[in-house]
Amino acid sequence: MDLENRKRELVKEFSPLLLKTSKVSKIWMIGLVAIILVGLYAFILQFVKGHIVTGMRDNVVWGVYIINFIFFVCLSYSGAFIGGILHFFKTPWKNSVARIVEIITVLSLIIGPIFILLCIGRLDRLHYLFMYPRIQSPITWDIIAIMTDLIGCFIYLYLTFIPDFAILRDNSTDMPKWRQKTYKFLALNYQDTVAQRESLHKLTRTMSTLIIALAIVAYSVLAWIFSLTLQPGWNSSIFAPYFIIAGLYSGAAVIIIAMYLIRKYFKLEHYIRKVHFIGTGVVLLIMSMLYGYFTFSEYFSRWFSHKIHDINLLDTLFTRYFWEFVLANYIGILVPMAILFFKKLRTIKTITIAAVIAVLGLWLNRYLIVVPTLETPYLPIQDTREEFIHYSATWVEWSLSFAGVAAFILFFMLLMKLVPIIPMSGIIDHEREQNGKPKKRKI
Amino acid sequence: MENNKDKKDGTNRRKFLKLGLLSSVTAVAGTSIVSSLADDTEEKKSSGEKVRLLTPDGQMVEVDADSINKYPHAHVNNEESRKGIPNKKFVMVIDLARCKNARKCVEGCQKGHQLDYNEEFMKVQLIQDNEEASPYWLPKPCFHCDEPPCVTVCPTGATFKRDDNIVLVDNDRCIGCKFCITSCPYSARTFNWGHKEKFDNKDIPYSPETSIPAAEGTVMKCDFCPDLLRQGKLPYCADSCPMGVIYFGDKNEDIVTNGEDTVRFSELIKERGGYRHLEHLGTKPNVYYLPAVDRQFPLERGFNVDEDIIERYKDVPYVQDLKKKGKI
Amino acid sequence: MNTKLFKYSVIAILIGLFTNTNCIAQDNEAKDFKMLYKFNTTKLADNSRLLQVSFIAQHKKDRKNKVPVYEAEINFYNTSNEEDILLGTVKTDKEGFARLTLPADQTYLTDVEGYINFKAEFKKTKAIKRYKKSIAVKDLILDLNLEEIDSIKTVMVKAYILDSLNTKLPVEEADAIFSVRGMINNMPIETATIEDGEYEFEFQTNIPGDVNGIIDVFVSIEDHDDFGNVIQQKSVNWGISKEQFKEDSNTLWSEAAPIWMYIVLTILLGGVWIKYIYVIKNLFKIRSIGKELEIKQESETEK
Repeated sequence: MDLENRKRELVKEFSPLLLKTSKVSKIWMIGLVAIILVGLYAFILQFVKGHIVTGMRDNVVWGVYIINFIFFVCLSYSGAFIGGILHFFKTPWKNSVARIVEIITVLSLIIGPIFILLCIGRLDRLHYLFMYPRIQSPITWDIIAIMTDLIGCFIYLYLTFIPDFAILRDNSTDMPKWRQKTYKFLALNYQDTVAQRESLHKLTRTMSTLIIALAIVAYSVLAWIFSLTLQPGWNSSIFAPYFIIAGLYSGAAVIIIAMYLIRKYFKLEHYIRKVHFIGTGVVLLIMSMLYGYFTFSEYFSRWFSHKIHDINLLDTLFTRYFWEFVLANYIGILVPMAILFFKKLRTIKTITIAAVIAVLGLWLNRYLIVVPTLETPYLPIQDTREEFIHYSATWVEWSLSFAGVAAFILFFMLLMKLVPIIPMSGIIDHEREQNGKPKKRKI
Repeated sequence: MENNKDKKDGTNRRKFLKLGLLSSVTAVAGTSIVSSLADDTEEKKSSGEKVRLLTPDGQMVEVDADSINKYPHAHVNNEESRKGIPNKKFVMVIDLARCKNARKCVEGCQKGHQLDYNEEFMKVQLIQDNEEASPYWLPKPCFHCDEPPCVTVCPTGATFKRDDNIVLVDNDRCIGCKFCITSCPYSARTFNWGHKEKFDNKDIPYSPETSIPAAEGTVMKCDFCPDLLRQGKLPYCADSCPMGVIYFGDKNEDIVTNGEDTVRFSELIKERGGYRHLEHLGTKPNVYYLPAVDRQFPLERGFNVDEDIIERYKDVPYVQDLKKKGKI
Repeated sequence: MNTKLFKYSVIAILIGLFTNTNCIAQDNEAKDFKMLYKFNTTKLADNSRLLQVSFIAQHKKDRKNKVPVYEAEINFYNTSNEEDILLGTVKTDKEGFARLTLPADQTYLTDVEGYINFKAEFKKTKAIKRYKKSIAVKDLILDLNLEEIDSIKTVMVKAYILDSLNTKLPVEEADAIFSVRGMINNMPIETATIEDGEYEFEFQTNIPGDVNGIIDVFVSIEDHDDFGNVIQQKSVNWGISKEQFKEDSNTLWSEAAPIWMYIVLTILLGGVWIKYIYVIKNLFKIRSIGKELEIKQESETEK
C-alpha cells in the first residue's frame, strides 16, 4: 500500500512534465521544426541536383556528412558505455542520469546513419547493400554493427521503460485516453511481482554488458573504415582505441549539457544535483586526459619520424587549419582539464562550459581527421580549380548538419513527453533499498 | 524640249541602273550573311562521330565514321564483363624518357570515352622527387593493381578485378559511397557529381568495358579499353601518343607494343630498369615506368600548353624557378 | 551621287564577303589538294595476292590536312604487251584504301623476263585527273620451316622463283624480317638478308607463345623491287611452359572472402542475435505472467 501511494505521488509529480508543454518548450519546438524544414529543403535539392551542390569534389570526397556521422555515432557508443557501466556498478547517483544517457544512445544511433545516407551518391540503389554485400568491406561491417547495436540499445531502452510504463498505466486515470491505451500496451502486463521484477532485472543486466561489448566492436569497425586504408594520416594502428576514447569524451560532455538543460528548463533541481555534475565531470576529466594522451601519441610519432607524407599532412594542419587545430587539440583538451581538475572551479555552470568546449573541440578534431588527409594524397593534387584542391562546405551541408542536431533535440523532447526523464521505478528501487526491504542481491 | 526628255530619260535610266545595282549588291551581301548564319546553326546541330572525305567529283563531305565497336557480339553486358578476356594478363609500360607532355593521350582518352575537358582518366603530372632531382612528366592512368585496395573496400562489389588483370567499375551497381576513391593511393578515380546531358544518351547500351554512358552519382576511371582490346587494337592513349611513350601488351605472351615498336616485356623492364610507383604500399600495380634517363626532349618542351594547364604545376619547385626567371 | 553609290556598294560587298564564313571554307576544294596515289602488292601466307591502292588528298598548304578520297573507282589490271586483263574494280573505303584480293590459283600473264605486271587506274573525273600506277613483281615462293635439328630449334627459310620450266631459281638477295605473333602487333625476332635463296637461324627458347604453348612465326619481305611484299607464316609448339598464374580466390579483393571472415562473422552475429531473441522471448514470458495475475485478480474480485 505504501508502495502504491508512493507511485501515485511520483506520477502526480511528473505528470505535468508529460502533459503540459510550457511556452518556452513550444517556442523551442517550433524553432527546431523550422530548422528541420530548411534541412529537408536542402536534402531535396541535393537529391534532385546531385552532390554537386555540396562542397565535396574529386579529391576531398568525404566532408561534413561523414564527420557528423562519426560524431553522432561516437556519442551513442559513449552513451552505451557509460550507461552500461553505471548500471553495472550501481553508483548511488546513477538513477537520475541513466535514462538521459540511454536516450542519447538510441537517438544518436538513429541520427548518425541518416548522415551517412546523405553522403551516398545513388540513394535509389541503397538496397544493393543488402542484395550484394561484400564481407571484406569495412562498410559492410559498419552497417551490420550499427544495425545490431541500434536494435540492442533500443531493446535495452525499452527494458528500462517497462516499469515506468506500468506505474503510469496504473495511475493515469486523469490522462487522455490515447495515453492510457499506449501505456497499457507498452507495459506488457508488468505487475511488479517478484518474479517479473527479477526476470526484468536479469534481462537488463545481461543486456547492459552486451551493449558495452557491442559498443566497443561497433566503434572499432567505424574506426577501421579509416585506418584500414593506405592513406597518410589514416593508416594508424591506434585508431580504434582513439575513436573509442574520443567517443567517451564527447559523450560525457553531451550528457553534461543535456543534464544542464533539462535541469534548468524542467525545474528538476531536486533530482539532478551537483553531485551528478561532479560525477560526470570526473568522467570527463579522466576522458580528457586519456584523449589528450592519444592525440599526442598520434601526432608526436608522426612528427618525430617525419616521413614525407606525414610531414605534408602536418604542414597542412599547421598552416591551413592552424586555428582549428589549436581549438581542437589544445583548447579542447586543456581547458576542460583545467576546469575540472581544481575542486574550487567545479561548479555546475563551469562544468557545463567545459563540456561545451569539449564537444566543439571534438567535432573539429573529427574534421581534422577526415579532411586534411584527403587534401594531401600520395600523388600531389595538380589542379587549377579551387574547389578541387581545398574543401569548403556549402550551405546545403551546414543546413543538413543543423537539421540533424535539431532533429536530435526534437526527438529528445518528444520522448520526454512520453516517459518521465527521471525513472520513477528507479526512485522506488532506490528507496526500497534504503528502507532495507529484502530483495535479492544482484550477482 | 527633246533635251529635257533626253535628260529625263537619262536620269530615269540612271535611276534604274542605280536601283538595280543597289538591290543586287544588297542581295549578295544579304544572302551571304544569311547563309553564313545558317551554316553556323547547322554546324551546331551536327553530332556524332564524323569523318571528312573527298568524293571523286571533288566534293568535301562528312560521313558517319564506322562505329568503333564493330566486333562480333559487340556489347558485353555487366555479367560477362566480370569475366575477363581469357588467357590474358594485360600490362602497360610507360617510357618517361620520351614523354614531352603533348597530352595527346589525355585527349584521345577523353574523346574515346566522351569525357569533358576537365574529366581525365589519364592524368599527366609533373613530379619532382626532391630539390636536386630533375622533374619528369608522369602520365598516370589507373594502375589496375593486382591487390587493389579499391576493390577490397567496395561494399556492393561494383568494382571488380578480372582474370585478365583489368579492374572495372559497374555503373549499374555502384551506389556512390566513394570509399574506393578515398582508398586509392594513386588518386586514379573520379566521381560524377551532378547530372550531365551525355548521361541520357541511350544510343549505346552501357557496358562496363566501354564506360559509356556514365551515370550520375557513380565512380569512373581508366578501364584499359577492353572493347578495343577485343578487336586487337591498342587503347586510346597508347594509340594517340605521337612519341610512342605508352607500351601495352600481354604479360602471358611477354610482348608489349606502342604501335611501332614491339618488344619483349620482360627484356624491356630488365634493360631499362622498369619500376612501379609506390611499390612499398603493396598494391602490385600493372603499369610499369621506365625512368626518365637519356631523355628525348628537354623538359621545357612540355610547357608548350595552355596557361591553365601550366597553372596546375605551380607547386613544383622547378616551375616556381622558371616563373621567377620569367621563362613562363 | 555616283561616289555615294560606289561607296555604298563597295561597303556592302565587303561586308557580305567578310561575314561569310563560307568564304574561308571555299579553300577546301579539290583543286587545293594534291593527290597521293600509292599502289603496292602483297603475297599472303596462303599464296593469295593482295593488290592495294591508297588514294589520299593532301592539302597543298597545310601538309597535315589529309583527307581520304571516298568511293573512288579503282580498276586493277594484269597488263601485258598484248592486252590488259581487268582483274577487278574496287571502290576506296573511308580510309582511302581500295583492296582487291586474288585467290591462290589465279593465273597471270607474265612478260619475257618473268614479271607479272599490274596496273591500277583511276579514271579521270571532273574534279580529279587520271591517276595510274604500275608495278611489276615476280611470284616469289617462301618456304618457312621450323625444325628441331640436333636439339637446336632452327628456323629455315627458302626463297625461290619458279621459271617457265618449273625449276627452282633461288633468290639472290632479299631483306626479310622474322616475327612472332603478338596480340596487338607482331614482335620481330630477327632481321636477315636471304642470300642465295636460303637463311636459317636459331630460335630463342624463352618465348611463351599462347596458352597452349604454340607460337606463330612470320617471315615477311617488304617493298622489294622485284617481289613487292611477301608474307609467310607457320605455327610451332615451341612455347615454354609458363607457370600457371595461380587463381587468387578467397582474398580481400576477390568475390569470395577469406574463410575465416565468414566464420568470425557468423559466430559474432549469431551470438548477439540469439541473445536478442532470448530477451524478447523472456519479455513475452513476463507479459504472460502478468496476464495470468490479472485474470486471477479479476476472477477473485468477481467472486
